[in-house]
Amino acid sequence: MGSFWNTRATHLVCEVNNVEDTPTAGTPPRNGTWKKHLIHLFPVPAILFYTLFIVYPIFAAFTYSLFEWKGLVMGRFNNFDNFIRLFTQEPYHTMFWRALRHNLYYFVVEMVVQNGIAFGLAYLIFRKIKGASFFKVAYFLPRLLSVIIVGFLWKLILNPNMGILNAALRKIGLESFTTAWLGNPDTALTAVVLINSWFAIGFYMLILLAGLQSIPEEVMEAARLDGATGFRLIRSVVLPMMFQPMVIVIVMTFIQSFEAFELVFAMQGSTGEPFYSTDLLAVFFYRTAFGGNSGDTGSLGIGSALAVVLFAIIAIISAVFMKYVNHKETA
Amino acid sequence: MKKIKFMSTVLLPLATAVALSACGGNNTSNGSSASSNTGGSASPDAKVTVSITSWRAEASEQEFYKQLQAELNKTAPEIVIDYQPVKATEYNTSLNVALSTDTAADIIHLRPYAAGTAIADAGYLEPIDDLKGLDVFTPEQLKAAQGSDGKQYGVPYMLSSTQILYNKDIFAKYNLQEPKTWDEFIKLADTLKSNNVTPLAFGSKEGWVLSLMHGAIAPQFYGHDFVDKFLKGEAKLNSPEYISSIQALKSLQPYFPANFEGLSMEDIRTIFATGQAGMVIDGHFEIASIQALNPEIKIGAFAVPPVKEGDEPSVSTWVDGSFAINKNSKNKEAARKVLEFMTTKEYGSMILGSTKSPSPIPGVSTDDELVNAISDLASQYGQPYFAVTNLNSGNPTTKSTLETDLQGMFLDAMTPEQVAADVQKSADTWFK
Repeated sequence: MGSFWNTRATHLVCEVNNVEDTPTAGTPPRNGTWKKHLIHLFPVPAILFYTLFIVYPIFAAFTYSLFEWKGLVMGRFNNFDNFIRLFTQEPYHTMFWRALRHNLYYFVVEMVVQNGIAFGLAYLIFRKIKGASFFKVAYFLPRLLSVIIVGFLWKLILNPNMGILNAALRKIGLESFTTAWLGNPDTALTAVVLINSWFAIGFYMLILLAGLQSIPEEVMEAARLDGATGFRLIRSVVLPMMFQPMVIVIVMTFIQSFEAFELVFAMQGSTGEPFYSTDLLAVFFYRTAFGGNSGDTGSLGIGSALAVVLFAIIAIISAVFMKYVNHKETA
Repeated sequence: MKKIKFMSTVLLPLATAVALSACGGNNTSNGSSASSNTGGSASPDAKVTVSITSWRAEASEQEFYKQLQAELNKTAPEIVIDYQPVKATEYNTSLNVALSTDTAADIIHLRPYAAGTAIADAGYLEPIDDLKGLDVFTPEQLKAAQGSDGKQYGVPYMLSSTQILYNKDIFAKYNLQEPKTWDEFIKLADTLKSNNVTPLAFGSKEGWVLSLMHGAIAPQFYGHDFVDKFLKGEAKLNSPEYISSIQALKSLQPYFPANFEGLSMEDIRTIFATGQAGMVIDGHFEIASIQALNPEIKIGAFAVPPVKEGDEPSVSTWVDGSFAINKNSKNKEAARKVLEFMTTKEYGSMILGSTKSPSPIPGVSTDDELVNAISDLASQYGQPYFAVTNLNSGNPTTKSTLETDLQGMFLDAMTPEQVAADVQKSADTWFK
């Protein structure tokens, strides 16, 4: 699976993460010039590794996107034809915009539900409610499962015929609310996004908790002495002090929503069933590049073009956002 | 977390790099999945090793090749078979890599129809028009493994068929008989429904199930000559007869389980195996899984009954793969002997007996009553599974367009007419 953008984007976040930790250029060692130069060798393995596994695939995908492909055999150079087909030819054109809309929806729901709850949980744990450490572990637990298992589990729970969700609804007299959760286009995408939130909440909670814990105790103390409590404390003190970790959370959520693949693939197949209602850009990419179902041969050229576009979306938006943030930080 | 991060930062691009670099046309690395075996003439007792690659990697399949070895050695004692299966979902990619790097096996398991034709057209296969025994197959069956040049490249090895399976106990309980006409079939479904038994196990969550089930009943509605007319350009997929075949599938909706939109093949299997439904339109290949869920179930099978009394019933059949010889094989003579063996009754009986699949070779039988019944239906009333035999081209293929469109139809997002128009539009992109 080609998801190099994933790594690139994760890397972006790591860079941001480390902005403050970057040491100011140290003074080079003075004893002997060879030792002075030796220091330049240390990053070589890392650079090689980075080039081979990150720079090369990105470059390769971009190259592939400029050629015509016959199955797995590279054909002649055909300029930006693959990109033009992606944006003008059916069914690619419709599929692209529909998938993009789904990714945006994914992002919005994750921001509101997943990060909202994650912040709430982090804050409760931060305020040391009873059993805080137990909850910390409990909420992180789903993250330890493989995505495939998460998908399988929830498929069982949401199964319209045997699943416990519909069974529970019938038990409490809400029969009319039962539906084919994953087969109904009105509920399928939301179901998948919420399951992903359930899976990821613990991770974001930990990031936000770390942010909360980095707020100096004196600041909180001073605010309390001034009489700030409850929402006032959160709005005027906690949130402004949480700028950095929240930016990280937003960018990571953005990247997560735009590279989302495994859960949909595991639960809804390579066409984003039903009737493309859960189709996402990465699933569309997989189907286009490697052939989805029923003997589709796949089209590596258009797939690569899509990968490049997806990479550009994630890289540019993340970069713009980071730039804005850095600007605001220094201002 | 660190581990997950590591996985995503290192392994994913690594996988990408490997997958993509393997695709390069001038790549010369040896595909580890399949390597040609050149042992043979060197060994003192003149043994020849013939390697066979396939996507069937189950343990039962390995066992089958041991049997095959024993049977084959009765007529060709010098041949040693080296079976090299690859995981089904990775087979196409690994085969393409192996072929383009000249490391493929001597005998290649070909995917049927368009996919096999593409490999033949790329010049990787040896024509076998003069192979002894090919005449046991019908021209329809042979078409599954021909190139665009009309030459034969593969020996068909297994027939798949779709028909209507039913639960014999439920039929006995309500005193029901196998229907002779479509109307009788609908009446039968009504009877089951009025007794609170779901008439048909069905689910539209997975697209491939929809084209499979549509394919099974369609010949009764578009007529037995429709495929020919389509191929000659005299009929189109948006012709009234094809539309009526889609409407027929839609008309069965009242007989489906509740919330069928969310049910996949697994659920369909379970619903039928546990006796919640009386019938299912299904492929023979699901029978083993259904019996695994409920070994007690007594399954019967009947062909899709004709709309007009007196017409022929039908089951849809297709060749599920065939075996071809690698053009660059160093053991072509021995490989031909193996292929010749694959046209014999002995081989046909082995396929029927050990894989419970109808064999295209006529006159073979097993002691499994149901398998024999299906085998008889297939040879008597077989009609091509049109979507696989002829609509599997295009990108996305017309077959997969049909699948998602049918899904849309059951979600009330498309009408049968719109489905027909859309699949014809897809066919227009490649069908000349």
